[in-house]
Amino acid sequence: MELVPILKGVELFDGITPEELAAVTRLCQERRYRSGEVITAQGEPGEELFIVCEGFVEVVLSRSQNDPSPRAMVNLGRGQIFGEMALVDHGPRSATVRAVTDGTVVQAIRRQDFNRLCETNHHLGFIVMRNMASDLSFKVRHYHLAGR
Amino acid sequence: MTEVFKVSYVVRGSDHPGAIVNVDERPGVGDRVDLGGRVFTVLEVFELIPPRGEFHFLHVTLQTEPAK
Repeated sequence: MELVPILKGVELFDGITPEELAAVTRLCQERRYRSGEVITAQGEPGEELFIVCEGFVEVVLSRSQNDPSPRAMVNLGRGQIFGEMALVDHGPRSATVRAVTDGTVVQAIRRQDFNRLCETNHHLGFIVMRNMASDLSFKVRHYHLAGR
Repeated sequence: MTEVFKVSYVVRGSDHPGAIVNVDERPGVGDRVDLGGRVFTVLEVFELIPPRGEFHFLHVTLQTEPAK
């Protein structure tokens, strides 16, 4: 999979230079999932940020450990990120994320690698952290409109 | 310069949770949208926040397709 054109279409990387984008691609690890496969589980430690490249993932929230009816919050498709909350606040995963479609492709970036890149390149660090805040804001606006 | 439309989809009258996805073309009222194998019709489109660079940020309300 040719990563540069894909990542250029991801808001998280809007505004970084081609060289910086190339550095990001070197941190990416591609993973493929079948429909229903869990990518991250609510409550588990979070060490990676994910970018959806193909297909859809579903974000599911349980209100308690044995919640009999966990709630689907949103589906995320091409160009969307998830796992960013644990990346920023070092807390456990806030929701379970599973693939909706067969052949869902995500790119995973380890927190340690991502933070190191941001710390060694402050321009890149500022841009991606600003864009991450913008993405979280967009998600909140979406939830408000969806009434979730 | 390629435009990217980041779209917040909310589905009216359905158990679908809605979606956020990047698309290459601005959705229009009456368009059909496939969200992971389920097809809906666009009811409403508006700009959620102002565009930034190549990125446009839209909100789209969808409804289930009428039964044939």
